[in-house]
This record gives sequence, structure tokens and C-alpha cells, in this order.
Amino acid sequence: MDIDTLNALVTDAIWRAQELDALGIQPASAWREVSVFEEELAKALPSSELEGQIARRGAVRAALKAGEYARAQSLCDTYLADTDAPTFLKTGVQEILEEADREISSRFQHAAKHHTPREARDLASRFSDAGAFSLAA
Amino acid sequence: METVAFYSYKGGVGRSLLLAHAARFLATLGQGVVALDFDFEAPGLHYKLGADQSPYGPSFTGGAVPYLIATAEGAASAPPLDPHTISVEVPTEAGGWLRLMPAGPAPHPPYWAALKELGDKLRLGDPSGRGFMALLDLQARIADELKPDYLLIDARTGVTELGSVATTILADTVVCMFVENRESLDGARVVIEAIRRSPRLVNQSPIRILAVLSRATAAATWLPASAAAILGIDEIFLLPHDDLHASERLVSGSGLFSAYFTLFKGLFPSAAEFAKPHHLVSAQPSPRKNL
Repeated sequence: MDIDTLNALVTDAIWRAQELDALGIQPASAWREVSVFEEELAKALPSSELEGQIARRGAVRAALKAGEYARAQSLCDTYLADTDAPTFLKTGVQEILEEADREISSRFQHAAKHHTPREARDLASRFSDAGAFSLAA
Repeated sequence: METVAFYSYKGGVGRSLLLAHAARFLATLGQGVVALDFDFEAPGLHYKLGADQSPYGPSFTGGAVPYLIATAEGAASAPPLDPHTISVEVPTEAGGWLRLMPAGPAPHPPYWAALKELGDKLRLGDPSGRGFMALLDLQARIADELKPDYLLIDARTGVTELGSVATTILADTVVCMFVENRESLDGARVVIEAIRRSPRLVNQSPIRILAVLSRATAAATWLPASAAAILGIDEIFLLPHDDLHASERLVSGSGLFSAYFTLFKGLFPSAAEFAKPHHLVSAQPSPRKNL
């Protein structure tokens, strides 16, 4: 898929996500589309270019908006491992994840003194996969 | 704060009653205790603790369900705990105290409506981790603000989401109760194995599990040793069958009274180190009117 097509798809998916949200309809699937298209753009565009940097940040941010924390973390890890990526991009991508963690910690201030949002996400993931007492594993 | 979850694979084993007596006993020994009713589908700890003796049912409106509705998705400013807990009268000579966080005003209809709403809001599989953070936050808030020595949780029977979290994530100690039949013992075995396998959170100690054979008849004298082998537990505590009076007060000198006392000494070794039977006598609830 060429870059113009991907850009058009990203724009369309963002518009749909925002419209769904405004109508009170769960927009997670549209944000997932945004994240996937941005990821494809990131693959096509080098991290040294502004467009490539925007795509990388957009892929991570949209994954979080879709509620896909594991995907956001995985994308972040990939972009951090890119030896050609400028430091400010790596910092920026990491900051997106940290901001999401800060937001959760601020809403659960007592739990956050003892546990990280990442611990809770790991529990949720295990619970989702294996059910109560992990008996469905 | 030590968190003790009381669990049974099958209902009707005297789990809530054991918790209620444990809570009163600890408070009589001078401990600060919070009892938390997580048996949301069939809550009754407020009856067991005599927290609301109105003939028309509970007069309170707060509890864990309404509290979690307000906090399940996170709250920049969480509602105060106080309206969601009830002070339970206990002997105060030793400086102990007991607060109950009931599930809510069950069995009134608004409670069931609230429980349905909570089902929509508290999603433990939510990938953001909010569901787990909400439960961890409740536990941490109780520790931070009420500062009890013990948090006793009445965990739901069977294999349920909340029972799983109470026993594998929140608890430092699990009391697993069963009766002398195969289905109860098999269920206890599966759950105990699952609890042992569950990874602990950072800074959590390895979990301690106590197995309690409840409602044991005289014919069950052979059972503790074989149950211990099946469950992989060194010692089984045994609570003999006893037709408790409707007031559910333990009769001093009865077999059940002695068994409760022995169990509490094992369950709370530091708090009950110097406990005497008269403490358990003092911990008995006041006689109350029955229907």
C-alpha cells in the first residue's frame, strides 16, 4: 500500500473514531485501525523524517486509545530499539506510555503507592487469558 | 495489615460465621479489624456481625458494591470510606475495634440493581488494568486510612472472578474450608493448587494456606489425615458439627468452641499468642432477637 493511501486511511479512521466517540459509541476498533495504519506508515518512512516520527507516535497513541496496552508497549519497544531513531523521538514515544501510566496512577492513588499500572495490566492480561484462578489456562 | 481471605469451593460450610467470630475475637484481643464482604451475590456478613438488626432489613445504603461503582474506573477524588463502613460493637477493654464494609444493603432491590451496574463497570479483564487497580486501591485505602491490623475478606464460593482476586491477589493468608464429601474436597484441592501456582505481586510474601474441615461428624476422624495428603497441607483444622443455636453464639466448653479457639491460635499466631478461652467468650455477640 502506498503512503498516500495509508495517509488517507489514517485520516478516515481518525475521523470515524472521533465521530463514534461523539455519538457515545465505543471507538476502540477505529482507534485500532488508526494504530495499524500508522504502524504501516512508520514501516514505510524512516524515523529520521518528520512524517516517520509522527507515524510512530501516532501508532503508540492510537493503540492506547484502543485500550491495547500490550500493543502500545510492543510498538514502543520496537521504536526504542531502532538505532537510527533520534533520541527525542524515543523519549517522546516513551513519554506517551508514561503519561498513560500517570493518568491511571492518579485515579488509583492508594494502589499506586504499592503497585504499578503495568502490574495491574499483567494481571488483567493473565485473567483475560486464563480466567478465575487461571483454571482456564 | 495482614489480609486473610475466607474461601470455600462450596457454600454452607460456615465460612461467613467463622470470619465473623474471628473478627470479634481479634478485636477483643485489642486488634483493629476490618471485615469486608466480597460475597456480592449472596452477602450476609452484616447479619453475621449483627451490624444491622432492623426487623425490616438493612438500614444502611453503603458498602463495597456502591463504593466500587464510584471508583471502578478510577476517581480523581474517591468518595470517603466512612459511609461505606459500619462500626460493630465489640468489647473495647483491650483497645480493639471492628468495622464492617458490607457488600451493600442486600437483600433490598436497589442492591441488586447496583450489583448489575458494578458488573458493567468493574471489568477485571480490562487491558488498561483499571479493574485490578480498583480492587488493589480499595485494599490499600483501607490500610492507609483505617489502619487495621487485619483485613478479613469473605470471598465468594466457587470459581469466580472476585473469589479469585481475593484469594490469589489480595490475600496474605487463605482459609480454605471444606466439608466431608468428595465434591467439596476435590474443589478445595483444585483451588488450593491454583492459589499455590498464582504468581505474587512485587513485595508480597508467599501465600499461607490453612485448610479447615468444617461440620465434621464423629465418623470423620479418619478424614483429616487423608484430606491433608490430598490437599498437600501439613495440618487440617477440624471444626466439629454442632447444632448452633439460631443466635450463632459459640457455647463455652463445647467441642466447636474449643476447635474455634485452636484454629484462631493457629491462624493468628502473633495476635492470639497469649489469648485465653475467656477472650473468645467475651467476643460472642450480644443475644439478639430472632424472627
